[in-house]
Amino acid sequence: MSAFASRFFREVLFPPYEFKEVIRQCYAIGNKSLGLVGITAFIIGLVLALQSRPTLVEFGAESWLPAMVGISIIREIGPVITALICAGKIGSSIGAELGSMRVTEQIDAMEVSGTNPFKYIVVSRIIATTLMIPILVIIGDAIALYGAFLAVKMKGAVSFTLYFHQVFESLEYTDVMPSFIKSFFFGYAIGLVGCFKGYFSKKGTEGVGKSANSAVVVASLLIFIIDLIAVQITEFLGLI
Amino acid sequence: MNAFNKSHPMFDAKSSHVIEEPIIQIEHLVKSFGDNKVLTDFNLTLHRGENIVVLGRSGCGKSVLIKCIVGLLNYDSGSIKVYGSEVRDLSQKQLDELRSKIGFVFQSSALYDSMTVGENLEFALRRHGKKLSVQEVDALIRETLDNVGLYHAKDLMPSELSGGMRKRVGLARSLVLKPLIMLYDEPTTGLDPITSKEISNLMLQMQLKYHTSSIIISHDMHCAEMTADHMAIMIDGICYAEGSFEELKNSKDQKIKSFFE
Repeated sequence: MSAFASRFFREVLFPPYEFKEVIRQCYAIGNKSLGLVGITAFIIGLVLALQSRPTLVEFGAESWLPAMVGISIIREIGPVITALICAGKIGSSIGAELGSMRVTEQIDAMEVSGTNPFKYIVVSRIIATTLMIPILVIIGDAIALYGAFLAVKMKGAVSFTLYFHQVFESLEYTDVMPSFIKSFFFGYAIGLVGCFKGYFSKKGTEGVGKSANSAVVVASLLIFIIDLIAVQITEFLGLI
Repeated sequence: MNAFNKSHPMFDAKSSHVIEEPIIQIEHLVKSFGDNKVLTDFNLTLHRGENIVVLGRSGCGKSVLIKCIVGLLNYDSGSIKVYGSEVRDLSQKQLDELRSKIGFVFQSSALYDSMTVGENLEFALRRHGKKLSVQEVDALIRETLDNVGLYHAKDLMPSELSGGMRKRVGLARSLVLKPLIMLYDEPTTGLDPITSKEISNLMLQMQLKYHTSSIIISHDMHCAEMTADHMAIMIDGICYAEGSFEELKNSKDQKIKSFFE
């Protein structure tokens, strides 16, 4: 896979550039995943606030709930949950699509017609996931914070303005930036693994199924590994 | 036999031309996949205007042969010269240039299933670096789809097409670039006898219209009988026998006879 990854960097730098295909993939990936990411984020935010509140009440720290929920979502839960959802949705879809293209000789047909299939299919998809996952993370974070606000509001009187004021007051640049940066790596990993598994799919429908399946498994595992590395780097730089 | 068989005057006229201009020369070709030696010492020559049918049992390496010709697979040793150029020695740019002269019809048609029929043809046209206006592209797509009788299906998705229609679109996608050589990978496999005959006829009509030379990989004897000027039988990775359909049909060799039984 490392050879595949380094080929991506070689191909992405040199023309011809497949702008149209990148935009098409960005739209497809973002649009397809937005609903699922939104619903999941909303539920996670809501449940997180509901589950955390009793403990904070016990310690007389209920007023810390918006800050706690905000930091949890922005730093960790938002990016990781969004990336895992996308690994399932986008990673499997890319793995199956490319696997099917391999099996039905569409990739060969592209090569014969003078197109570099790696650049057209792989590079465009990896760029699209790398760019779209951070955007989905931002949207997911916002929806999760809103879900948490509804949970807080259900249990006590708090205004929308006050809640979000408390959330943003507790957040610092060092909370937002590392999680935003790591989400690019999540996106890259999802695209890379999906494309790699699909591009080298074995012949037959079984091969396509296996590609889709292992794309999800490997991408999910990579997300946790990247997260662990990101936390170590953040700690090393004194940003925690 | 249809009107385009070897006894047709056009083909007689071509056959004198044939001997002078070899356009694909394959010599001592060897290709293995791990321990599995698929092509052991394969030799074949395609001349201008000629249709060669390569017959062989399933899995004997027929598709591997034509994939080596277009550089989709690398061969271990031997030589494949197309228009005098050794395929293995070509740079990517030269290979792309060569591929623009070759039409490849895949066994599964290999239509891009996220694109309509028209877009499938347009993709091929746009990718070969020919600067064409929108009107020129539309006209070429219309002409080519008309030739295969499928202009009405221009806006359909490949999933909406029948097996025969997919083969026709696959053929149209190759022909839209006006290639000089056509490589057909089992063009009639999976089709009913009537559709199979239609596709074989279409291949001949297109050859006359576009003046192409073809290598047709098949194990369909009816297709071979209709389309072949010359036939090669592949057994154990070598070109076991060559000749006209009639010559091979009347052969006393048991291995050759088994193809015609």
